[in-house]
Amino acid sequence: MTTAVRERTTAETSAPRGSTTRPALSDTRTLRGPSSRALLGFSIMAAFIAGGIWSMIELRINIASLIVGFENAVVFFQDRVGTLEWPELPDLMESTAMTLAIVLLATLLGAIISVILGLAAAFNTSPSRATRALARTFVVVMRAIPELIMAIVFIRLFGGGAVAGILALGLNSIGMLGKFYADAIEDHDDGPRRALESGGSPRSRQIFGATIPGIMPAIVAHGLHRFDINLRASVILGWIGLPGLGADLSQALGVGSYHRAIPLALIILGICIAAEILSGFLRMKLLGRSEPSRYGFIWAYHKVRDRYRTNGVTESTVKVSDTSRLGDRTTPPWNLGRISRVAAMGLFLALIVVSAWYAEIDWVRFFEGFASIPDVAGQFWPPDDGDIPETLWAALLTTVQMGLAATLLGAILALPVGAMAARNVAPNPWVAQIFRNLIVVTRGIPELILAIILIVIMGMGQVAGTLALALGAMGLLSKLVADSIEETDVRVQQAISTGGAGRFQVFMAATVRQAAPASVAHLFYQLDVNIRAATLLGIVGAGGVGYYLLNANRVLSFEVVTYILLMIFVVVLILEFISILMRRLLR
Amino acid sequence: MSAISLENVTKRFSADTVAARDINLEIDPGTFTVLLGLSGSGKSTLLRLINGLHKPTSGSVTVLGTEVGTARKTQLRHLRREVGMVFQQFHLVGSMSTLENVCTGALGSLRGPRMGLFSYPKAVRQRALEQLDRVGLADQRFQRADTLSGGQQQRVAVARALVQQPKILLADEPVASLDPESSNQVMSLIAQIAREDDLTVICSLHQVELARHWGDRIIGLRQGVKVMDELAADVSSDDAMRIYSAQWASEAAAAERAGGQEEQLAASGGANLR
Repeated sequence: MTTAVRERTTAETSAPRGSTTRPALSDTRTLRGPSSRALLGFSIMAAFIAGGIWSMIELRINIASLIVGFENAVVFFQDRVGTLEWPELPDLMESTAMTLAIVLLATLLGAIISVILGLAAAFNTSPSRATRALARTFVVVMRAIPELIMAIVFIRLFGGGAVAGILALGLNSIGMLGKFYADAIEDHDDGPRRALESGGSPRSRQIFGATIPGIMPAIVAHGLHRFDINLRASVILGWIGLPGLGADLSQALGVGSYHRAIPLALIILGICIAAEILSGFLRMKLLGRSEPSRYGFIWAYHKVRDRYRTNGVTESTVKVSDTSRLGDRTTPPWNLGRISRVAAMGLFLALIVVSAWYAEIDWVRFFEGFASIPDVAGQFWPPDDGDIPETLWAALLTTVQMGLAATLLGAILALPVGAMAARNVAPNPWVAQIFRNLIVVTRGIPELILAIILIVIMGMGQVAGTLALALGAMGLLSKLVADSIEETDVRVQQAISTGGAGRFQVFMAATVRQAAPASVAHLFYQLDVNIRAATLLGIVGAGGVGYYLLNANRVLSFEVVTYILLMIFVVVLILEFISILMRRLLR
Repeated sequence: MSAISLENVTKRFSADTVAARDINLEIDPGTFTVLLGLSGSGKSTLLRLINGLHKPTSGSVTVLGTEVGTARKTQLRHLRREVGMVFQQFHLVGSMSTLENVCTGALGSLRGPRMGLFSYPKAVRQRALEQLDRVGLADQRFQRADTLSGGQQQRVAVARALVQQPKILLADEPVASLDPESSNQVMSLIAQIAREDDLTVICSLHQVELARHWGDRIIGLRQGVKVMDELAADVSSDDAMRIYSAQWASEAAAAERAGGQEEQLAASGGANLR
């Protein structure tokens, strides 16, 4: 019977192949007609590049202004600064502690709310479709409102203490963390949760028993990343009255005492870099994704530790064979690993308690704040153009131009740097390492601080702000480009090089083609980031609409503040729309 | 009384995706039943119908006296405590210790969410340790689950199902991603435990030889239809191969296509149920 079946199937499959010769191709085109998707995508790209070039011309970002800026810098260091005056240590400690307390509490607040929202927004843990939509919407709204806007409103409500900053940074964190956490939950293996479900656990126990332990590393890693971002943002909030390092810096700059401002800016820079290194290290340990870069401090430390650990292993195997029969111990032994885990947890809790105490949260004022919502809303409404609508719209245009020019400049710088930093493209590992380090250094410098330093030495205006943003964009973009190149399928590149293609041919044919969609998506993300940052930079005097926002806030004409906030909001929404559109097109 | 009984059960995911067609089945307590069939033939759906992760489109599923199709949420949860399940991909939380993974099996009968070994009562931890010892992994109790081999992970998953103290054990291709030696270990472990605890086991498999060796009874499924139901002793290798035979090659291809959809639906089905 089986043979009969086999015959029949062979007969069936061979029939169409053998019986007829292939008909001639009626359609001999070798190029596909342009699709509307491709056309739209290319026109957006072209518009972006044209806009970037136009902005650079309009903002007068060219060699001449760089030379003028450089001359300014020389004059500045000779005449204006004099001897640098470093802040008194107790004052400095106090401000630093305040900033760190605010940022820690804000990040914690944001992370906790984000986990809850993430669980509500992920399809596999969400109780219902409606909850899911609601949670997603809330996250998007929190992302769309810039932290500066939140801070201005919260300072009116809750006073100029730490609370306003914690709430503004915390809620703004939700926009990023809520999305990351929801994605992490959805991408994470849902199997353990389903296993618990089939064992009869109700939803809450499934979530705490399987989902949260599974995504815990992601929760902490993204939280740490957000801590860095919040630390940088907290500095700018000093200009509108948030206590801490930012307030000190804005005061020093406000009265033009550059000899005090420069050391402060350098100290903030140091703190940001230290936080970045620490959180990067912790993240690497948690996610275990990348090896530590060779010939660095962490690498050396690991080497020493591994040697120590190998000794430890032989010891522990002896122990296990001693007590190999089933003991009744159901909690892990107090070995070094557990002690350090518990100690780290205790330290973290202690830090939170200390921060909460240090931030001097005024609970009475906090609840009074809620009562004052109608009053404050009255101050902010209706929006008013302050009789200078043309000036405001022109300033907004400058802000957008700064964002465009900075992104284009950053991208031009980032492409070669990113490609060279990718280990599968760089001619040898040393080159990759050098460019990696360059990226690390650039990314470590917060663009706000860089802008302040550039403004101080080059003079106020768009050029300083744009350059600061461009360097920041280069840092982030080249990292993203390097990563997306490294994620490409190496086997394709090998296949092409076995065909005799040269190094550059392989790069263009295989690597670029694979990395391009991700890189373009990152580019538009960066444009969004830069225009948001450009509004903030106006506050420190880098040109654009932020300057008018700060002024209106200072003279308490909150209707004008609302007007400007709405203007910024419209731009942010348009950008959001473009980048969503671009991501769709590239998918 | 039979432990599980299905009467005219049909499960339809969409107009043209039918994962179970008019199935009638009685399973006696304490027996070891093997489901055989191609991917997408409805094995997983059948298992999910038994513990109520899917509800039948028509017909009735009665498990341990509970009518699954009409059961309320709490009733269903109580039923699921009595029905342990083991999956092809183990479904352990990799970053949690082996013992904690086993403890999570008891969540159905504990109150409130739990996180960390400490949050489980000592009695549960002890019970988990006993089951872990039974599957031969007591020494690995504090190791992270993802440091274990595939066979070991599946044994941990079996221990997790046993902590529930189930009456029925469902195994969804428990050895499909294991090498032959680990497969034999896991299968003999399941069989041995089933004997000792007098469990009713339903296990879906790919390998005809394993099915004939371990099963008391073999049920063949093709495109959601029961095409074979015989005692394992009466089934010859050739008989069993008929379920996979090339005679249905074209139908199998169709089933494969439907199966892809079905798996997606099966994954989201659990979430949509609520």
